[in-house]
Amino acid sequence: MNDDTLVLYYYDDGLSNQERRDVEAAIAADESVRARYEELRLQLDQLDTGSDVAAPTHMVQRWHDSIDRAAQRERVPVRSKPGQFNAMSFFWGAAVSAALAVGIGIGVIMSGSPVPVELAPNYALVDPETSSVVPGAFARGMQVHLRDTQRNIVALSGDNREDRTLLVMRIIQQNRLFERAAEQNDSAGLARVLRAFEPILLRLAADDIAPEDADALRRQLAFELNVMLTKLERDTSKETHKT
Amino acid sequence: MRTYTRLILIFFALIAANSAAAQDGDDIRDDEALKMVALEALMSAPSERALPIVIRVLEGTGSDEMKEAALFILSQIDHPDASEQLLKTAQSANGELRRDAIRMIGISGGDAVDSLAEIFSSGDADVRKAVLEAYMIAGNSQGLYNIAVNAENNDDFEAAVEMLGAMGATDELSKIRERSGVSDAIITAYIISDDADAIRELALDGSDLEQQANAIEALGIVGADDAEALLTQIYRDSDSEFIKEAALDGLLIGDFDDSVLQLYRSSTSTAEKRELLQRLVMMDSDQVLDIIDETLAGDH
Repeated sequence: MNDDTLVLYYYDDGLSNQERRDVEAAIAADESVRARYEELRLQLDQLDTGSDVAAPTHMVQRWHDSIDRAAQRERVPVRSKPGQFNAMSFFWGAAVSAALAVGIGIGVIMSGSPVPVELAPNYALVDPETSSVVPGAFARGMQVHLRDTQRNIVALSGDNREDRTLLVMRIIQQNRLFERAAEQNDSAGLARVLRAFEPILLRLAADDIAPEDADALRRQLAFELNVMLTKLERDTSKETHKT
Repeated sequence: MRTYTRLILIFFALIAANSAAAQDGDDIRDDEALKMVALEALMSAPSERALPIVIRVLEGTGSDEMKEAALFILSQIDHPDASEQLLKTAQSANGELRRDAIRMIGISGGDAVDSLAEIFSSGDADVRKAVLEAYMIAGNSQGLYNIAVNAENNDDFEAAVEMLGAMGATDELSKIRERSGVSDAIITAYIISDDADAIRELALDGSDLEQQANAIEALGIVGADDAEALLTQIYRDSDSEFIKEAALDGLLIGDFDDSVLQLYRSSTSTAEKRELLQRLVMMDSDQVLDIIDETLAGDH
């Protein structure tokens, strides 16, 4: 009997009648289950539910997916252990490649010479120099940018080094535009996050990056992008409620 | 299932992370994926509620990847305790986690940025590099300037100056130049920041031939509008073979083969023509074959 089931039982939510009966039987028959449920119940009782902010729709969907996957996992046989990611070897490799890549990348970006690549048709290009953005429009444009970046990061897993480098340069160029837009819209925090993406992107473009290291960096970026999307949606939602 | 119930489930998934018994690989991976989503979800919760949960993850026995994610969440929580926790991790953790905490201090941009100088001075090469990057992320050019002027070795000086170039911090670079003179690092920073004006000035300054030569080559790299004309003029006007050589290198780097061709045609010295022809061959100029043909025709 796991905690998830006990929490669902506590909230009388998400369990079938048979599952509820099973939980009741387990609590009655098993001392350890009863103790755990009591512990959870005490903690849940203490939680104040009044001030929670509604979770964004896309986040709720992601929770559903993750919980469903976790539930499926419980039903399939355990496979052999995957190779474990070695954080230390990752960093040393990344640091060495970054020393070169950051210099080259920044040079390309800062030179003002646009990288001659075609943007994907659905790629939202916003030029903060020419567009008259308002905070709402800015937030929406930023959300589109972050989602586009998510999509492009998935494409970075391709084997072709030149394609990968060009794609990284394209993402960075776009990122730079939005970084400037963030600064112009008094969103210094957002600008800092966008700046922080660049070194990671450049490490991803390095020739000698190991596949597992690249996976780890992509996961890191994906996580940070998701967090920023959630934060933006939360802030946008708050603004909407205010007005 | 109600959204709130799911959120509670996720909170408990995080809490359980710290007390989970050993699991097999796939279970751990899925469990971890769920916890990462749960961490993301914390951005929807009020900071005073999210903060203790994130700190618990950071201080627990979860993976480094999980803790790095927790650090990012901390960087997005506008609360003094969040900054304090980031600083504590940056000061006490080891390896990648420490460097990540330093990066997050840059992202958070709060008062903790002021403590980066101390972390820099006591850190190893990787920590120092992370601090420089954090200053760049925070947009703190003053911190980089302080590191550059107080650097105890050339590597730190160069890294700080080049990072200032990446930030386009022209004022700080000028101050460093006044204080320490022109150096390779300064010229590299000007290249990175695409400061053609500063490079042009150095390219015409004959007080230090070596740095002048570096600046002349840099002209070819930044490719200013007048770079081709200026490099050609420098080549023609200079009496120094060293500077002429640098100007030719600049023309080669900038791929200005038309100017090299003109110099070739106007030259009356066989030795010079040979040198210019070699450059044109290196530049893979379309007109090399014509010149070779002309030269051979002259022999006939």
